[in-house]
Amino acid sequence: MATLAEEKPALRHLSSIDGGLVMSVLLLSAIGLATVHSASSEMPVDYLPRQALWLGIGVLLLVAAMSIDYHLLLDFSIVLYAVGLVLLVLVLVAGISHGGAAHWARIGPWQFQPSEFAKLATILVLARYLSGLNRRVLALPQILVAVAIVAVPMVLVLVEPDLGSSMMFAPILLGMLLVAGVRLRLLLIAAVVAVVLAAGMWSFGMKSYQRQRVLTFLSPETDPLGAGYQVRQSKIAVGSGEMTGKGYMQGTQSQLRFLPVRHTDFILSVLAEEWGFLGVVTVLGLYSLYVASAARIAMRARDRAGILLVTGLLSVLCFHVLYNSSMVVGFVPITGIPLPFLSYGGSFTMVNFVGTGTMLGVDLRRYVNR
Amino acid sequence: MTAWDEIMQVVREHRDDLIGRVRLLAGTVTGLLVLIGSGFWFVQIAQGDYYRELAENNRLRKLPIIAPRGLIFDRRGRLLVENLPSYNLLVDRSRATALDRSLAFASTVLGRPLADLEDLMERYRSVPVFKPVLLAENLSLAEVARFEVEALEYPEFEVEVQQTRLYRHREQTAHVIGYIGEASPDEIEHSGGAVAPGDVTGKKGIEKRYDAVLRGKDGERVVVVDSRGELLREYGRVPVQPGKDLTLSLDLELQQEAASWLDGPEKVGAIIVMDPRNGEVLALVSSPSFNSNLFTHRLQQDDWQALLDAPNNPLQNRAMQNAYSPGSTFKIVMATAGLSEHLIDEHFHLTCTGSTVIYGHSFRCWRKEGHGTVDVRQALTRSCDVFFYHLGQRLGIERIARYARLFGLGAPTGIDIPGEKEGLVPDAAWSLKTRHQPWYAGETISVAIGQGPMLLTPLQMAAMTAVVANGGYRVTPHVVKNLPYPPPQRANLDPRALAIVRQGLWGVVNDPSGTAYSTAHLPGFDIAGKTGSVQVIAQKTRKENLPFKYRDHGWFTSFAPESDPRLVVSVFVEHGGSGHNASPIAKALYQKYLSIEASHGDAR
Repeated sequence: MATLAEEKPALRHLSSIDGGLVMSVLLLSAIGLATVHSASSEMPVDYLPRQALWLGIGVLLLVAAMSIDYHLLLDFSIVLYAVGLVLLVLVLVAGISHGGAAHWARIGPWQFQPSEFAKLATILVLARYLSGLNRRVLALPQILVAVAIVAVPMVLVLVEPDLGSSMMFAPILLGMLLVAGVRLRLLLIAAVVAVVLAAGMWSFGMKSYQRQRVLTFLSPETDPLGAGYQVRQSKIAVGSGEMTGKGYMQGTQSQLRFLPVRHTDFILSVLAEEWGFLGVVTVLGLYSLYVASAARIAMRARDRAGILLVTGLLSVLCFHVLYNSSMVVGFVPITGIPLPFLSYGGSFTMVNFVGTGTMLGVDLRRYVNR
Repeated sequence: MTAWDEIMQVVREHRDDLIGRVRLLAGTVTGLLVLIGSGFWFVQIAQGDYYRELAENNRLRKLPIIAPRGLIFDRRGRLLVENLPSYNLLVDRSRATALDRSLAFASTVLGRPLADLEDLMERYRSVPVFKPVLLAENLSLAEVARFEVEALEYPEFEVEVQQTRLYRHREQTAHVIGYIGEASPDEIEHSGGAVAPGDVTGKKGIEKRYDAVLRGKDGERVVVVDSRGELLREYGRVPVQPGKDLTLSLDLELQQEAASWLDGPEKVGAIIVMDPRNGEVLALVSSPSFNSNLFTHRLQQDDWQALLDAPNNPLQNRAMQNAYSPGSTFKIVMATAGLSEHLIDEHFHLTCTGSTVIYGHSFRCWRKEGHGTVDVRQALTRSCDVFFYHLGQRLGIERIARYARLFGLGAPTGIDIPGEKEGLVPDAAWSLKTRHQPWYAGETISVAIGQGPMLLTPLQMAAMTAVVANGGYRVTPHVVKNLPYPPPQRANLDPRALAIVRQGLWGVVNDPSGTAYSTAHLPGFDIAGKTGSVQVIAQKTRKENLPFKYRDHGWFTSFAPESDPRLVVSVFVEHGGSGHNASPIAKALYQKYLSIEASHGDAR
């Protein structure tokens, strides 16, 4: 076994890197840079140079993640998971308050969100656990263990309180369990439990501002300067873009500062206004390309662990894309969920590149056992 | 079979199941993407016209409610700075049916040549057309009315109301209050969101130091407008938080009196009037000054150039941004040091013959015929140089520097006006570090009478005088009265030494042999003080009627009444000839103070 795993196949198969995945990431990042520049033209700072820096660091991290054998990551996954939990607790105790919630940690001059790190560690631990279960369909105790693995960091993030980031743990569990094998009946029961839990959350677990957000989503007119105002302005921006858009840097909604946080959560509104439906279709198409490529990598992965690892990473990314794009057209309540590769952001950009690099790493090692 | 091989076996067994489910997952996601894409189709294509109209008319408008900036009062509640509305004309070019016609109309109303306005429009070429641009500032009410009346015909014109600052006393308070201006990109980035482009911020003086207090927080109104831009109804509102008013410790009457003494050509200098009990500044004047109202409108280039070209740099606050030699006023520090170190006592005396020889050099007293036998009180009263030459030799530069620092010299006083200089207290270490040469012992003798490299600001002079006046407490000078400030702190100085020094300084003004008796004596009010003059050129070339720029600088620093001081007055006159030109100003300010006190009572 050892001789096979240590064969270092990566360099031999560099030419076989998945072109679809790499191309979609590069194109999305380039579109993101241009849109961030336009979105920040009426802001005190142009975020383009900073985002370019994050992308540069991201590419380096991608290469690094690709070079590491993912079996090594899985071996150390429990340590990484423990570190992630400790970081989350530390942030709870002494985090940097950011808009009322503490989700940033500081190392020297660097700020980052430990929840991003915990997300990756959780995927690794779960992939390791599920890959060791040699069953066609998971038994209930095994499912409960899997739920527990995800629930611990999820709750820690939720009480920070950061509803948006804690939601991100749900697709990890959902996607990986689905692929690892659960009975449909169980999924239905889970859905019922989720509804009950959500009701409990609403009554006991949510801060009033979070409840307010859900309410204003249901009737936007009640809070014109809060979330309702944002949904409305975002829809005006998107809708007025029509088929071909108003032209780069010419979006009246974004240039006249109607749109809030337009360089992060509402970057797609800016793009939709300036590039129209064609721009949106292009971006959604690139995400489809990414999803198809990542699924192809999962399907030809060498082992069960590889399949599950890629599934976990892909699930989180998909959730971001689906939620954010639904949010800007007003399908779902507004919460702080940015768009991968397009939104401005340090930790977030880096995590997406690390995730993509890990997928490529799984792909490069697919031949070893054949 | 190893563990891995076992697992691989299983993977092969269930591989097809897993692959199938991955395909299901990816298919679901792609399906959802298509669904969301059709959502965009619905909003952008099916409802596109609706939203385009909303965006074009911008039915919802966010209107900022500008927070009124805090007012500024003097210690008796007299208004020093107020806000006045001013009107700016903006034009939204995307709403103009024929821009030429609009400009022609504006040109007749404003009485400005059409070509000027066209040039202006040319400069806005790179600004997107839907952004309103500034056409004219500071419109009269009649002009505003014309544009309002024609609003239906020319909806592209918008009149914007702005609050501008009116500094009621212009030059007289400019160096204390400062002025405001448009926020710089740097200020915007470092404000943490509190300052937006187009906002004004304090640029100098109190306006700058207390900007966050005075500024308040802008509010916001979201209104629904029709396609002509007419307001239909209010949609929501974020209330405005007005800026906080400031009450200064300044006394307007004293400030104006002080300013009047330094008003005019060849009147260059600084005056500080301060309460030695708590550091409240009652007057602070620097001359020449400038009209702070010039800065409230986007400054005309020629006004700015005129200020930069004006002689003696009117923008410089001489009271705290220029440091000068202290001259004979430094004898206050010397006498305190000698007495505290027990190198001399109040009975010690020596004979001044008009000059003395130290380290093989002859040092002259300013009085050629000498002072005869003097003790420390008389040496201060009559400002005998020879006495302090010998005291300086005994103290040495290190001890002199230590006492100078105990009086607060060589460090900022901490006044709440930005930009203060710290002056210079020289010692051997400074000499090695800055001049790369050892301290030369002969220089100590010069420093002993306040010449040499020692430098202090007029404000430090006042703070130093306060320490003598209040019996050994360092106070932090401040001009804002209604905000907390640091309490006085005990300086490590011998109170008995300070008492003897005070008696010597009382003699300066009240003993017929004192150097300020003829110019500052005020019967019935015990002023104590010290004169000083600073040579601008070498002593041997000095003569009467020198050109202005070669005349000596004059100092007079003082406190009163001697028994229970409640006022410090420090006057510095550049090229004033000597302390004799500074002391009458101090006397006039004490007289003014007494008359104010008589009519209003102590304004503590």
